[in-house]
Amino acid sequence: MDAEQAQVDISKLSDADKKELNQILTNEAQKSSIQQTVHHLADVCWKKCVTGKITAGRLDKSEESCAQNCVERWMDTNLAVLKHLETLRGQ
Amino acid sequence: MALFGSSNAPASSEDVKAAIVKQLQQEAALANARILIAKVNEHCFERCIPAPGSSLSSGEQTCLSSCMEKYISLWNVASKTYVGRATSESKKVGQDIHAMAALGTGNSE
Repeated sequence: MDAEQAQVDISKLSDADKKELNQILTNEAQKSSIQQTVHHLADVCWKKCVTGKITAGRLDKSEESCAQNCVERWMDTNLAVLKHLETLRGQ
Repeated sequence: MALFGSSNAPASSEDVKAAIVKQLQQEAALANARILIAKVNEHCFERCIPAPGSSLSSGEQTCLSSCMEKYISLWNVASKTYVGRATSESKKVGQDIHAMAALGTGNSE
Protein backbone atom coordinates (compact mmCIF):
# COMPACT_ATOMS: atom_id res chain seq x y z
CA MET A 1 0.00 0.00 0.00
CA ASP A 2 2.75 2.41 0.97
CA ALA A 3 4.80 1.57 -2.10
CA GLU A 4 1.80 2.08 -4.33
CA GLN A 5 1.03 5.37 -2.65
CA ALA A 6 4.59 6.54 -3.18
CA GLN A 7 4.42 5.59 -6.84
CA VAL A 8 1.56 7.94 -7.46
CA ASP A 9 3.06 10.91 -5.69
CA ILE A 10 1.79 13.52 -8.10
CA SER A 11 4.11 16.19 -6.79
CA LYS A 12 6.84 14.37 -8.70
CA LEU A 13 5.16 15.02 -12.03
CA SER A 14 6.81 17.43 -14.43
CA ASP A 15 4.64 20.05 -16.09
CA ALA A 16 4.93 18.28 -19.43
CA ASP A 17 3.79 14.98 -17.92
CA LYS A 18 0.93 16.70 -16.12
CA LYS A 19 -0.23 18.08 -19.43
CA GLU A 20 0.08 14.71 -21.11
CA LEU A 21 -1.83 13.02 -18.27
CA ASN A 22 -4.56 15.56 -18.61
CA GLN A 23 -4.96 14.62 -22.26
CA ILE A 24 -4.92 10.90 -21.48
CA LEU A 25 -7.54 11.44 -18.81
CA THR A 26 -9.77 13.35 -21.20
CA ASN A 27 -9.44 10.59 -23.79
CA GLU A 28 -10.26 7.89 -21.25
CA ALA A 29 -13.30 9.82 -20.08
CA GLN A 30 -14.54 10.05 -23.66
CA LYS A 31 -13.90 6.38 -24.24
CA SER A 32 -15.80 5.58 -21.08
CA SER A 33 -18.69 7.80 -22.17
CA ILE A 34 -18.89 5.99 -25.52
CA GLN A 35 -18.84 2.63 -23.74
CA GLN A 36 -21.69 3.76 -21.48
CA THR A 37 -23.75 4.61 -24.53
CA VAL A 38 -22.97 1.25 -26.12
CA HIS A 39 -24.02 -0.52 -22.92
CA HIS A 40 -27.29 1.34 -23.07
CA LEU A 41 -27.75 0.54 -26.77
CA ALA A 42 -26.98 -3.15 -26.27
CA ASP A 43 -29.56 -3.20 -23.46
CA VAL A 44 -32.25 -1.55 -25.57
CA CYS A 45 -31.51 -3.46 -28.78
CA TRP A 46 -31.30 -6.82 -27.01
CA LYS A 47 -34.89 -6.36 -25.89
CA LYS A 48 -36.02 -5.40 -29.37
CA CYS A 49 -33.97 -7.76 -31.52
CA VAL A 50 -33.34 -10.96 -29.60
CA THR A 51 -36.83 -12.16 -28.94
CA GLY A 52 -36.73 -15.80 -30.10
CA LYS A 53 -35.51 -18.85 -28.26
CA ILE A 54 -31.77 -18.78 -27.65
CA THR A 55 -30.25 -21.79 -29.38
CA ALA A 56 -26.88 -20.53 -30.62
CA GLY A 57 -24.17 -18.30 -29.25
CA ARG A 58 -24.02 -16.32 -32.46
CA LEU A 59 -26.36 -13.65 -33.68
CA ASP A 60 -28.33 -14.85 -36.69
CA LYS A 61 -28.58 -12.68 -39.79
CA SER A 62 -31.90 -11.11 -38.92
CA GLU A 63 -30.83 -10.34 -35.37
CA GLU A 64 -27.64 -8.73 -36.60
CA SER A 65 -29.35 -6.46 -39.11
CA CYS A 66 -32.01 -5.68 -36.50
CA ALA A 67 -29.27 -4.61 -34.09
CA GLN A 68 -27.69 -2.38 -36.73
CA ASN A 69 -31.04 -0.80 -37.56
CA CYS A 70 -31.78 -0.45 -33.88
CA VAL A 71 -28.62 1.59 -33.29
CA GLU A 72 -29.10 3.68 -36.44
CA ARG A 73 -32.74 4.50 -35.63
CA TRP A 74 -31.84 5.28 -32.03
CA MET A 75 -29.33 7.81 -33.32
CA ASP A 76 -31.96 9.20 -35.73
CA THR A 77 -34.33 9.55 -32.81
CA ASN A 78 -31.69 11.34 -30.81
CA LEU A 79 -31.07 13.82 -33.62
CA ALA A 80 -34.78 14.27 -34.32
CA VAL A 81 -35.47 15.10 -30.69
CA LEU A 82 -32.68 17.65 -30.63
CA LYS A 83 -33.83 19.15 -33.91
CA HIS A 84 -37.38 19.50 -32.72
CA LEU A 85 -36.18 20.99 -29.48
CA GLU A 86 -34.34 23.56 -31.56
CA THR A 87 -37.55 24.57 -33.37
CA LEU A 88 -39.45 24.72 -30.09
CA ARG A 89 -36.87 27.07 -28.71
CA GLY A 90 -37.14 29.29 -31.79
CA GLN A 91 -40.87 29.82 -31.32
CA MET B 1 5.16 8.45 2.46
CA ALA B 2 8.27 9.15 0.41
CA LEU B 3 10.30 7.78 3.30
CA PHE B 4 8.74 4.34 2.90
CA GLY B 5 8.24 4.40 -0.82
CA SER B 6 11.58 5.74 -1.93
CA SER B 7 13.45 2.50 -1.23
CA ASN B 8 11.52 0.38 -3.70
CA ALA B 9 10.18 3.10 -5.96
CA PRO B 10 12.55 5.83 -7.13
CA ALA B 11 9.45 7.42 -8.74
CA SER B 12 10.61 9.77 -11.41
CA SER B 13 7.97 11.86 -13.14
CA GLU B 14 7.91 9.19 -15.84
CA ASP B 15 7.26 6.41 -13.28
CA VAL B 16 4.48 8.33 -11.60
CA LYS B 17 2.84 9.01 -14.94
CA ALA B 18 3.09 5.35 -15.99
CA ALA B 19 1.61 4.22 -12.66
CA ILE B 20 -1.34 6.59 -12.98
CA VAL B 21 -2.05 5.59 -16.58
CA LYS B 22 -1.87 1.91 -15.70
CA GLN B 23 -4.23 2.26 -12.79
CA LEU B 24 -6.58 4.40 -14.83
CA GLN B 25 -6.79 1.85 -17.61
CA GLN B 26 -7.21 -1.05 -15.24
CA GLU B 27 -10.04 0.63 -13.41
CA ALA B 28 -11.74 1.68 -16.63
CA ALA B 29 -11.55 -1.88 -17.97
CA LEU B 30 -12.85 -3.26 -14.69
CA ALA B 31 -15.76 -0.83 -14.58
CA ASN B 32 -16.64 -1.67 -18.17
CA ALA B 33 -16.51 -5.41 -17.48
CA ARG B 34 -18.68 -4.99 -14.38
CA ILE B 35 -21.44 -3.31 -16.34
CA LEU B 36 -21.26 -5.95 -19.06
CA ILE B 37 -21.47 -8.79 -16.54
CA ALA B 38 -24.40 -7.16 -14.76
CA LYS B 39 -26.25 -6.73 -18.06
CA VAL B 40 -25.56 -10.30 -19.19
CA ASN B 41 -26.74 -11.54 -15.82
CA GLU B 42 -29.92 -9.50 -15.99
CA HIS B 43 -30.90 -10.39 -19.55
CA CYS B 44 -29.79 -14.01 -19.58
CA PHE B 45 -31.39 -14.80 -16.25
CA GLU B 46 -34.64 -13.42 -17.53
CA ARG B 47 -34.36 -15.30 -20.81
CA CYS B 48 -32.93 -18.63 -19.73
CA ILE B 49 -34.45 -19.15 -16.28
CA PRO B 50 -38.15 -18.42 -16.67
CA ALA B 51 -39.04 -20.70 -13.75
CA PRO B 52 -36.20 -21.13 -11.25
CA GLY B 53 -35.96 -24.70 -10.00
CA SER B 54 -33.92 -26.19 -7.19
CA SER B 55 -30.79 -26.11 -9.38
CA LEU B 56 -29.73 -25.04 -12.86
CA SER B 57 -30.67 -27.69 -15.42
CA SER B 58 -28.17 -28.56 -18.13
CA GLY B 59 -30.51 -26.95 -20.64
CA GLU B 60 -30.47 -23.75 -18.64
CA GLN B 61 -26.70 -23.81 -18.43
CA THR B 62 -26.40 -24.26 -22.19
CA CYS B 63 -28.84 -21.42 -22.68
CA LEU B 64 -26.81 -19.20 -20.36
CA SER B 65 -23.59 -19.88 -22.29
CA SER B 66 -25.25 -19.18 -25.64
CA CYS B 67 -26.99 -16.13 -24.26
CA MET B 68 -23.76 -14.70 -22.92
CA GLU B 69 -21.98 -15.13 -26.26
CA LYS B 70 -24.94 -13.69 -28.04
CA TYR B 71 -25.10 -10.65 -25.81
CA ILE B 72 -21.41 -9.95 -26.33
CA SER B 73 -21.85 -10.29 -30.11
CA LEU B 74 -24.72 -7.85 -29.94
CA TRP B 75 -22.63 -5.49 -27.86
CA ASN B 76 -19.91 -5.57 -30.49
CA VAL B 77 -22.37 -4.93 -33.32
CA ALA B 78 -23.87 -2.03 -31.38
CA SER B 79 -20.43 -0.61 -30.68
CA LYS B 80 -19.29 -0.88 -34.29
CA THR B 81 -22.51 0.61 -35.65
CA TYR B 82 -22.56 3.42 -33.09
CA VAL B 83 -18.95 4.42 -33.57
CA GLY B 84 -19.36 4.20 -37.36
CA ARG B 85 -22.43 6.40 -37.31
CA ALA B 86 -20.93 8.85 -34.86
CA THR B 87 -17.85 9.18 -37.05
CA SER B 88 -19.79 9.79 -40.26
CA GLU B 89 -22.17 12.13 -38.48
CA SER B 90 -19.33 14.15 -37.08
CA LYS B 91 -17.79 14.52 -40.53
CA LYS B 92 -21.13 15.67 -41.88
CA VAL B 93 -21.76 18.24 -39.23
CA GLY B 94 -18.13 19.13 -38.77
CA GLN B 95 -18.17 18.30 -35.11
CA ASP B 96 -15.83 15.81 -33.61
CA ILE B 97 -16.79 12.33 -32.55
CA HIS B 98 -16.75 13.28 -28.92
CA ALA B 99 -19.47 15.85 -29.32
CA MET B 100 -21.57 13.08 -30.83
CA ALA B 101 -20.74 10.83 -27.95
CA ALA B 102 -21.91 13.51 -25.58
CA LEU B 103 -25.16 13.77 -27.53
CA GLY B 104 -25.54 10.02 -27.27
CA THR B 105 -25.36 10.00 -23.53
CA GLY B 106 -27.70 12.93 -23.26
CA ASN B 107 -25.13 15.14 -21.66
CA SER B 108 -25.77 18.14 -23.85
CA GLU B 109 -28.58 20.57 -23.05
